Amino acid sequence: MPPKAKFIIKRLLAGVAMLLGLSVLVFLLLRAAPGDPVDAYINPSAAMSPQDLAALRTRFGLDQPLPVQYLAWLRAAITGDLGYSLQGTGDAVLPLVLSHIGPTMLLMGAGIALAVVLGISGGVLGAVRRNGVVDLLLSVVAFLGISSPAFLTALVGLYVFAVRLRLVPTGAMLTPGAPFALGDLLAHLILPAVLLSIGHTALIMRYTRASMLEVLNADYVRTARAKGVPEFSVVARHALRNALLPVVTLIGSTIGLAIGGAVFIESVFNWPGMGLLMVTAVRARDYPVIMGAALVIGAFVLLLNLLTDLAYAAVDPRIKVG
Amino acid sequence: MRRRTVAKLGLSSLLLSATGLTLPAQAQDLRTITGGFDVGPGGMPGNFNPMTATAGFTWLSLYFEPLITYSAELDKFVGLLAKSYEMSADQTSYTFHLVEAKWHDGKPFTAEDVRFTFDLARNAASGSNFAARLSGITGVTTPDAATAVVKLSAPNAGFLDTITKVMMLPAHAMAAIPVADIARNVWWSTTPIGTGPFKFNRYVNGQYVALLANPDYRLGAPKVDRVVNRYFENTAGAVAALRSGEIQFSYVESDDVPNFRADKNFRVIEGNSYVVNYLGFNQEVPLWKDVRVRRAVMHAIDRASIIKSIYGGAALPANCGYVAPAFVPSGLDPYAYDPAAARTLLEQAGWAKINGDKPIALITYYNTPQAANVMAAIQAMLAQVGINVVPRIVDVPTYNATVYAAKPDFNAFPLVYAGLQNGPDPSGINIGLNEKQIPPAGANIMRIRMPTVTTAFDAALAETDAAKRPTRYQAVCKAMNEELPWGTLWVTSRYGVVSNKLKDFTWVPAPAGGPYDAHAERWALAT
Repeated sequence: MPPKAKFIIKRLLAGVAMLLGLSVLVFLLLRAAPGDPVDAYINPSAAMSPQDLAALRTRFGLDQPLPVQYLAWLRAAITGDLGYSLQGTGDAVLPLVLSHIGPTMLLMGAGIALAVVLGISGGVLGAVRRNGVVDLLLSVVAFLGISSPAFLTALVGLYVFAVRLRLVPTGAMLTPGAPFALGDLLAHLILPAVLLSIGHTALIMRYTRASMLEVLNADYVRTARAKGVPEFSVVARHALRNALLPVVTLIGSTIGLAIGGAVFIESVFNWPGMGLLMVTAVRARDYPVIMGAALVIGAFVLLLNLLTDLAYAAVDPRIKVG
Repeated sequence: MRRRTVAKLGLSSLLLSATGLTLPAQAQDLRTITGGFDVGPGGMPGNFNPMTATAGFTWLSLYFEPLITYSAELDKFVGLLAKSYEMSADQTSYTFHLVEAKWHDGKPFTAEDVRFTFDLARNAASGSNFAARLSGITGVTTPDAATAVVKLSAPNAGFLDTITKVMMLPAHAMAAIPVADIARNVWWSTTPIGTGPFKFNRYVNGQYVALLANPDYRLGAPKVDRVVNRYFENTAGAVAALRSGEIQFSYVESDDVPNFRADKNFRVIEGNSYVVNYLGFNQEVPLWKDVRVRRAVMHAIDRASIIKSIYGGAALPANCGYVAPAFVPSGLDPYAYDPAAARTLLEQAGWAKINGDKPIALITYYNTPQAANVMAAIQAMLAQVGINVVPRIVDVPTYNATVYAAKPDFNAFPLVYAGLQNGPDPSGINIGLNEKQIPPAGANIMRIRMPTVTTAFDAALAETDAAKRPTRYQAVCKAMNEELPWGTLWVTSRYGVVSNKLKDFTWVPAPAGGPYDAHAERWALAT
């Protein structure tokens, strides 16, 4: 068997073991939290008898011992059946989770793309116009972006652009009841994506500026200028390429941070992504959805890690897999 | 220079296209009312099965209908699918005469549907919340297609109130679904049919539900083509959508009311929440056995100040577990704010020996900033007379897991700040106060064993003569006021805000969202 195939199989097997461990951990954490789905279901101001509650627990299988509950879930999960949501419609978990991944990817992708474009452009501009008015303005903007908590920017942005100026809708991904239209999607996307990108833009801008300043003082840049290379080429081709290396590392870690930010933004804007799904599920102690979502997210992360390792090996011949 | 101009143009066009392109989607041909019908405590977003609903009836009753419902004033029963009804002399048989109505698929609504619905609703295997409350039904007979007779094993004064929430279901469309699968069957959220003014159209998970007008509705075709119920993660989102004109109605918190009152584009609907907030004294701990201690607590709390300063006047003092005027007698002790009297009562009861200044947990599931202020005020006021309570605000599942535990730790909830729906018929609070309702039989979670209260409730529940019921419940109210099984505090107002674009719109902040006679077929949009 080729070393690469052996490596992939080994990683996949390790991934399965990790997912199993993850499922046990999430299962135990959920059971350790106070209250179960039935406790979340009861309206405290509309009392129900303990007999009715016991009947509900029996219906949901919550009256079984924990190992029995876990093994029943695992047995079904192996066959691809992640169970059914315990909330309202009782949707199947797997399609439910999968249907929420797309919106989150869209929001995160748009937010990160905006952050990268605006952050790098601003950083380069700030470095080139060092200590000038533009640099000063950009620095102020960056500091404001870094120091503004996400909940504040989200709520202020919602109030100003959606409520006061009515430039964009206040929430959701599409106008309820309307047929799909790309413009409608973009209109709903732009504000949460911009707000999600603010902190990351500011961070990337500062990193880019610092990195560019270092590179712009390097000997090879001075040499390029001395050779009469046009300033645009000096900045774009010679300096920026080298300055971007640490920024690329930062962008990588930004993706992880953006997931956390997306959870909050999704709640404020009712964006139908994984964040909103998880928040709702945790509030309702919807065990199957939380377990399913954790499993699917875990599988995605493991798969992405594997693909990243393979990609490293593909682009850099010095790295060997297997 | 040219590059800068191109960049500016690009950004501008992106923003313009994103905003401008929404116009075709929003400019719809259908006359649509969009609202946050499941926002707030009367809502139950994501629930489509009326038999498992503990709230959300404002929305559900747009396409399902019960036999009878409450009037919009919540003061009497009115017929919906039953044009009239009568009770037998022995009060164990109700005969319902049905209207001529059609299901949304065109099939006729008949007495067989009534029998099917009641059989399902009283069968616990269907997951019905009504199983216990309808357990007294011995059978439903159908002398003809337009008459249904419900027989009870014994008189039940709360029967009519209970069936206002029992939505009629189509036997022909549901009979094939196994009973055990009904509770969570996909039918509810995909192809449900009712008899109401609107027909189910579409549900987008977690986002919205859309209904279309039922042109064949027996009381007339609706004046709008569509009603959309948008889901919001929190009330603030709904308020933002209301202000921006995206929706025309939503429940709002009282903090938002002054702004809407000042805006001529909106109309504020105010109503009684029918939920009395109370301090629940856990009788399994030795703190509250002496009624003088409970009375001291009441005298120590300046309810008028809390109502004025924290609720902005949007609440009324409650001197027993309900506030419907017909059921509240005159001459109740108002427990006026009197810290000196509270200290005297505590001294007489020997509070120093009972507890002294040891901390007492005050647990609640109300987790709004307003509730936190109320808890802080109660803590400060009780501290003034020597009762040291420590508020603990938890989420609903944590609260329920604590108080409903099979083997509860009573020291974890010696005192609770809670609320219980009473509504137009006070019989609903029996479950939380009658000694016979101590778990596992009922939800008397504070383990109240007060014979006068229990006796008064038993007499009221057994009274099926409508003329005598107010007197019976006045006796319950008096017993509650004297014995203080709960320290009843106030009943707050609830608010809905309607855009002026919405005409002939009826909404009532009823407990559980109703149902009530909303006449949704009359709802219209200003042209």
